[in-house]
Amino acid sequence: MTTVMLVDDSATMLMSLKSILTKAGYTVETAGHGKEALDKLSKGVKPNLIISDVNMPQMDGITFAREARKAPGMRFTPILMLTTESEQSKRTEAKNAGATGWLVKPVGPDQLLGVIKQVLPGA
Amino acid sequence: MASLLRRLTPVPEAPEGRRVSGDVVAEAVTPIPEFCEVVDGHVRDVIEQTGEAAEAIVNQLIKVDSLAEVMAGDVSQLAGTLSRTESELSQVSASNDQLVGRLIAYFLHRDHQIRNLVDQMRELNKHVTQIEEVSRATNILALNAMIEAVRAGDAGEGFSVVADEVRKLAHRSSEAAHGIGSSIADLTAKLDSVLSDDSQFDRGGEIPQQNEETAMTRRLGGIANAQREMSEMVGGILKDTVNAAHQVQRSSDALISETTGAVGHVQFQDISRQMLEHVAEAVGDVRRQAEDVAAYVRGDLTEEDVRSRVIKVADLQAKHVMSRQRQTHAQQTGQDAHAAAEPIIELF
Repeated sequence: MTTVMLVDDSATMLMSLKSILTKAGYTVETAGHGKEALDKLSKGVKPNLIISDVNMPQMDGITFAREARKAPGMRFTPILMLTTESEQSKRTEAKNAGATGWLVKPVGPDQLLGVIKQVLPGA
Repeated sequence: MASLLRRLTPVPEAPEGRRVSGDVVAEAVTPIPEFCEVVDGHVRDVIEQTGEAAEAIVNQLIKVDSLAEVMAGDVSQLAGTLSRTESELSQVSASNDQLVGRLIAYFLHRDHQIRNLVDQMRELNKHVTQIEEVSRATNILALNAMIEAVRAGDAGEGFSVVADEVRKLAHRSSEAAHGIGSSIADLTAKLDSVLSDDSQFDRGGEIPQQNEETAMTRRLGGIANAQREMSEMVGGILKDTVNAAHQVQRSSDALISETTGAVGHVQFQDISRQMLEHVAEAVGDVRRQAEDVAAYVRGDLTEEDVRSRVIKVADLQAKHVMSRQRQTHAQQTGQDAHAAAEPIIELF
């Protein structure tokens, strides 16, 4: 079973994405911000993919991506940033922090599932 | 926005003997209209954004609604097909029972006929016994005739020959009757065995070529044809049922796809929320600016402080993270709004 961790401070986003991914057969873990997501990783949650917002309270998505890369077994786990931001400078920052890709909201279900298939070919 | 400013900035009164510089007030107030115009643009953005999203959701829901209707029709059709299937299968089952009943009756009838034949063959044995008795009596008679012929001397010589021939004939009759009796016994035993035990067929006994049509093959052929027709009918019914179920599955898949799409559109709430947060932040800046001017007029804030805190439309632009926000800002401030489109999805 492929597990996707969703990190977003918007409950609506979490509900919407969780519904789409669950229907597509993925197991979903959620966190309201980067710090909560890091806590889950440190407690042994091992997602196959992380989809994270950028602007969040307590810990933003780019810092989270940088910290998540240091967690055991997370070096090669794909991390997708899903955000309303579209600036190139932020994208570069995310890339340098270890993010795998950048998706600008809103992303349609088919687009999202297509990107997941690209970054998780075997899943 | 103007009414908001009116509400937030009560007409200040300058302390007696203090000179309020019109330049400072003008500097602080001048950017406000432009600032408000940008904010106004963003508010309209939010309205437009929520309108577009709501329209998309409504369109999606209309599709969901029509698909649900189609699916309800498909389900009703499937229910009808299943009901027909049930009724027709009951008929087929009844016909099958009837066929099997007729087949059993037919075999019972054949068995009964064969049993009658066996009984009649057993009856033949009585006639064989009678023939054997006649042969024995004829033999004795022939022996007596020979004795009498010997006693008659030369005159009985010819009669002796005839008596001997009669004796031989009686012997051959007895042998023939005995043979017929054995054959009848053998045949009836075999027929009894055929009637009571057909296990040889299961053991792969020899099956004769069926190139001759008999009453039995005709009867069984008719039953096989009826059975084939019933199988074809059942096949047709099941095919209709499977087609109807596939149609329901297709409608169901389309419905799921539309509902998933509708769920995806809900992301507009997060985008609108962030847009409104930026608008609220900008309104907060305007409010602070108005309070600064009022404080300056009252003498609570120095000229330098007011000037250093004057809001700038350019600062507002720096906070815009969405492509749409940047475009709106450019449009509202008369800048070039055609920025290079950034990709929606980018894999590093």
